[in-house]
Amino acid sequence: MKIYIGIDVGSVSTNVVAMNQNYNVIFKEYIRTNGQPLDSVKKGLKMLEKNLDHSFDSVVGVGTTGSGRQLAGIMVGADIVKNEITAHASATIQFHPDVRTIFEIGGQDSKIIIIKDKMVVDFSMNTVCAAGTGSFLDHQAERLGVPIQEFGDLALTAKKDVRIAGRCTVFAESDMIAKQQYGFSKAEIIKGLCDALVRNYINNLGRGKNLEPPFIFQGGVAANKGIKAAFEKEIGHEVIIPQHYNVMGAIGAAILAREYIEKTGQKTKFRGFGAADFDFSPTSIECGACANSCEVIKVDLNGKTVAMWGDKCGKWTNSLVG
Amino acid sequence: MKVSFPYMGCVTGYKKILEMLGHEVIMPQKPTQKTIDLGVKYSPEFICFPFKVMMGTYIEAVQRGAEVIISSGGHGPCRAGLYGEVHEKILKHMGYDVQVIIFDSIFRDFGTFYTHLKKVRNGASLIKLIKDIRFAFQIICRMDEIEKKIKILRAYELNRGDFNRAWVEIQKLYDKCWTQQDLEKASKIAHQMINDIPIRKVKDDERIRVGIVGEIYVIMESSVNMNIEQNLNNMGVEVENVQYISDWVKHNTRGFFGSSKAEQMIGKARRFVKMNCGGHDMENIGWMVDFKERGFDAVIHLMPFGCLPELITQSAIPTISKELKLPILSLSLDEQMGTANNQTRIEAFIDLVRNLKSAPKTEVKEIEDEVWNAKLLKQELAG
Repeated sequence: MKIYIGIDVGSVSTNVVAMNQNYNVIFKEYIRTNGQPLDSVKKGLKMLEKNLDHSFDSVVGVGTTGSGRQLAGIMVGADIVKNEITAHASATIQFHPDVRTIFEIGGQDSKIIIIKDKMVVDFSMNTVCAAGTGSFLDHQAERLGVPIQEFGDLALTAKKDVRIAGRCTVFAESDMIAKQQYGFSKAEIIKGLCDALVRNYINNLGRGKNLEPPFIFQGGVAANKGIKAAFEKEIGHEVIIPQHYNVMGAIGAAILAREYIEKTGQKTKFRGFGAADFDFSPTSIECGACANSCEVIKVDLNGKTVAMWGDKCGKWTNSLVG
Repeated sequence: MKVSFPYMGCVTGYKKILEMLGHEVIMPQKPTQKTIDLGVKYSPEFICFPFKVMMGTYIEAVQRGAEVIISSGGHGPCRAGLYGEVHEKILKHMGYDVQVIIFDSIFRDFGTFYTHLKKVRNGASLIKLIKDIRFAFQIICRMDEIEKKIKILRAYELNRGDFNRAWVEIQKLYDKCWTQQDLEKASKIAHQMINDIPIRKVKDDERIRVGIVGEIYVIMESSVNMNIEQNLNNMGVEVENVQYISDWVKHNTRGFFGSSKAEQMIGKARRFVKMNCGGHDMENIGWMVDFKERGFDAVIHLMPFGCLPELITQSAIPTISKELKLPILSLSLDEQMGTANNQTRIEAFIDLVRNLKSAPKTEVKEIEDEVWNAKLLKQELAG
């Protein structure tokens, strides 16, 4: 059996999947990043190796995505390093070929992707505000003393509607406290929060777009039943949550890696599972050549510099070319 | 007089004209993080990003000895028309004895224009002045021409950095020009340099061409737009920017040379918006139509966060994009320097454009401009 590996390094979670040639996901792991993206990737790879226990012949392609895609890509030797919008869309199209609209809510950003004839035709991504993301829910769950896992179920038990401002986390929070003091129950407030998040998300990202069914909702937040219900209420249509909703980005990366390998006929650049034990150290230096004082990221692998980026002028990036 | 000016795109031309008139030029520096920090510190909080960057540029120039700053004005609802006055006020408050001279369109208020010109011309005769301006304008046109070429060819360069290195040399070449002969020679060498750079050959139908429209400062100055043109070129995408100083000068002196490109663009924008709300909003919409007509694959729209004229363009984008069947990405820029978020957007956008291009073409019935114009005319006559 040949397998493809996909790695999605996000702000909140690092996801590793392995996919066989029939697009079946044979391994998936959702790991909290906790600000340690490289350790999470290493951990993920080790778990993958252990879990599959030589039940496959070879790794033929590796793809990375997410905000930490570049660093992770260098570490494992990825064949493709893709942005998360393209990756998410590829995975969804694979499992739900008729999809028209993807709602993706992750830890620190959220997106709407519009698809037509299995092709991304439009997308938008939240800009300056955290109000429509998982981090916001996380934070509020903590405030209310409700474990985030129970958040959604609790929201479903609410009997009444409470309106909470969703435009901004600061407004939402003060609204929430006020409503608590009016005597609304925890469940009702949580439901109000879910509604507010969805309202803000649709207003913000869906503006000027024709949202057409089927709707697919994915990303870590899709685990939250309260949000799913809020979505269905807001758009008045059923929302589908895919089987592997929380690792779709990683699956997309694996699919894109496969497409790339098949198209180019190249051999994978995967460094092997030993990569987890390599001496891999990213450091940053502040370049003093001009007043920009760029923070340049320098990546050493077993003592040899393999990548540099972050400089505006290209002085360091270009120093490695050739 | 020790003179300086804002830094926006290629500045060799402005330097030339001021030097020819016998001024000592304090060259403004390309904006850096320090420039932006300074500008943000001394500007009103809710003013747009270009104001803040220019503020920083001026402060740095004044600290290096500039006594006079020359800038352009503007008219219409965009606040930029008053920026010069506000900049001067802030600089004076900070205790710098500096004068900001603003040139507005020559046709609006000739008296003020002439007074300003008298200060700047430094006692030169009118004939010398016209000759110098003409020469500097020629330099600007020639350099713009080369820059346009670079932004296309750089997408295919084989050795990363070749074109940028050549451009640095070319700027030095033009900087040394003082006569018409110098200029001809420099242009010949410059074009030769560009043509000699090895590039990857691509089939015509594989070329991805993206037009850049938006607020003039953020689309012209690479240090405030995340170097987007270079970024796109690195992805193998050809870029055409709609703003060049040569075009701006032509537009503002169109009384002498007949109708400008900008006027044509405003005509093309008519089917989407009826009036200009300041800045370049209508022009930018016209450019989107123009890019479509010329077979471009996509447009990227850049605006400073909170820019009024470009907010209007932005809100028209969904309709324009749908009717023209043209992918358009709009990005707001501010002092935030983290690029990860926008990088993701740009990469995903280029993926989208590539996919659309390689997908089998579906028949699209385009509505001709004439039909729209006729419809509009009918409405106007009826009204």
